[in-house]
Amino acid sequence: MASLDITKMWRDPGAPADSFYLVRPECQDVPKSKFRIKNGKTLSERKWRAAFSPEGYLDIGKTLGRIHRGGIHPSIRGEVWEFLLGCYDPKSSHAEREDIRKQRRTQYAILKEECRTMFPVIGSGRYITAPVITEDGDPILDPLVLQESKAAKEAKEATSVTGASDDYEMVKEDDKRVIEWKLSLHQIGLDVARTDRSLVFYEKQENLSKLWDILSVYAWFDKDVNYCQGMSDLCSPMIILLDDEADAFWCFERLMRRLRGNFRYTESSVGVESQLNNLASVTQVIDPKLHQHLDKLGGGDYLFAVRMLMVLFRREFSFCDSLYLWEMMWALEYDPDLFLTYEDPELAADKSEESKSKAKSRQVGKFERENMKNAGKAAEAPLPISVFLVASVLKDKSDKLLTEARGLDDVVKILNDVNGNLDAKKACTGAMKLHRKYLKKAANTHR
Amino acid sequence: MGAYRADDDYDYLFKVVLIGDSGVGKSNLLSRFSRNEFSLESKSTIGVEFATRSIHVEDKVVKAQIWDTAGQERYRAITSAYYRGAVGALLVYDVTRHVTFENVERWLKELRDHTDSNIVIMLVGNKADLRHLRAVSTEDAKAFAEKESTFFMETSALESMNVENAFTEVLTQIYRVVSKKALEAGDDPAALPKGQTINVGSKDDVSAVKKVGCCSS
Repeated sequence: MASLDITKMWRDPGAPADSFYLVRPECQDVPKSKFRIKNGKTLSERKWRAAFSPEGYLDIGKTLGRIHRGGIHPSIRGEVWEFLLGCYDPKSSHAEREDIRKQRRTQYAILKEECRTMFPVIGSGRYITAPVITEDGDPILDPLVLQESKAAKEAKEATSVTGASDDYEMVKEDDKRVIEWKLSLHQIGLDVARTDRSLVFYEKQENLSKLWDILSVYAWFDKDVNYCQGMSDLCSPMIILLDDEADAFWCFERLMRRLRGNFRYTESSVGVESQLNNLASVTQVIDPKLHQHLDKLGGGDYLFAVRMLMVLFRREFSFCDSLYLWEMMWALEYDPDLFLTYEDPELAADKSEESKSKAKSRQVGKFERENMKNAGKAAEAPLPISVFLVASVLKDKSDKLLTEARGLDDVVKILNDVNGNLDAKKACTGAMKLHRKYLKKAANTHR
Repeated sequence: MGAYRADDDYDYLFKVVLIGDSGVGKSNLLSRFSRNEFSLESKSTIGVEFATRSIHVEDKVVKAQIWDTAGQERYRAITSAYYRGAVGALLVYDVTRHVTFENVERWLKELRDHTDSNIVIMLVGNKADLRHLRAVSTEDAKAFAEKESTFFMETSALESMNVENAFTEVLTQIYRVVSKKALEAGDDPAALPKGQTINVGSKDDVSAVKKVGCCSS
């Protein structure tokens, strides 16, 4: 990756970026990327560096527009994402951020060690795909697991002077939280084994186990969410973009702050259902005819949109295009207080009083500005841009859906055809338009 | 506009669900049956996916609408919508992973809790091509299927073995249930009123739709 001459890419308007995320030659049916690195549009490394003061304060307003216009150059994607997702405060110095980074890396190491003690395959460069525990807490002696555990133990003993005292213990587990965690380890493994496997990156066993480690540590860290299918799709890009495992973990953790609601579940519901309800009410306002039609076909619950919302269109786009879509979404939704909101929610709440003046600030993403302008007028909390993205895809195909869809399978078929030809930038523009329209209509009805 | 899609001409529409543990090959069974495709790089299923295919049963065209879902337990919270109106089910396990066979009982319970008792169920042991890794014997699975009164077949989506047979068998059996029901109700199965919904079960949804050519050209 690093061997590519980046300066040459700038001068070349519309350079493809797929070379940054190489696909295995035998995988032919992977969608082609539409994203191009464009001179003067794509956020380049030079522009990015120029947005920082000598101390390290970032004028992010300058970069948000660029990201919206042309995405981020793949060579700096990881570090820009850290800001977009709120890992760091733009109003902090290089030194302050370095401190935070160090602290976080230590915190991750502690978390990971905690997990490794409970299950020694963590951090061993291996991963498991067979269950290790029953719901009652009895260990399962699956040969596949024993083999990996033994190898992990031997590797540990070879490097440790003290000699490992942490055998893979065959005792009954009582702690409910530990049981819950161990129950998900093989599910994570099953999904790791089939996440982005068309990429050359995941031909390496160490990258697969890195993905497994991060997801396993996250499952322990966020006990309410634990692990849910779909999360491996969200985590995989982080590992590719950020070399350091701990940095990738925290970037993923920030992404999950936005999305974890979708993955939470109870006996009777999965979190994403509330987003589906939002999608239904948006469609009802914007395109009532379409909503009626979908409802008639038995699609009033919008279940067909679960995947788009859960993994943010990752399955509908090429790898590269989905990253482009994500960064546009986050740039549009950007709030400079994101970092503070995550680190110190109370202080952030106090600050939100100033939202009126913030609504005009260039440091705020366009979508977020609309929400701030509208704050106070609307009864409910603002909806994420992803809901409007799905709504705009539906609206786009409204005519076709109304005339041709006679069953849910037709709906899915029509949407699949769209998604293959979807343009990330146009979709974002469409979502913004719908958002403004929705706010206007919603405000009128509340009056 | 004409017939907008050739495969829209069917006599019956049956909803069939694919269930079973994560990674047993549900999605590949579906893609093999609906598009004759198999992918070694297949991804986990998020939420629900569907595919359709029409086949001939006796002299009738039966369109199968097959629903595929994520195997992870927590997605089952969305199940009521998933099972709603299903008249057939393929309950899949992986012959190389015994635990996926052990869990069949739970899936069966789930199925029986959410669907009508007349639902046609087939137990499917997939990945039968991996002979050297087999962990569930054919006899054990067959005995279980007999005990639970389900149909049974071993398949390989990779080698395209028995996939066609498994789906066709389920659809044929559903057809039999449906036509028998119609007979019991005193109807000639071939002469139902236009667009009448045949409820195999008591659910209020369109499950098995008998379509009479009002708009087919």
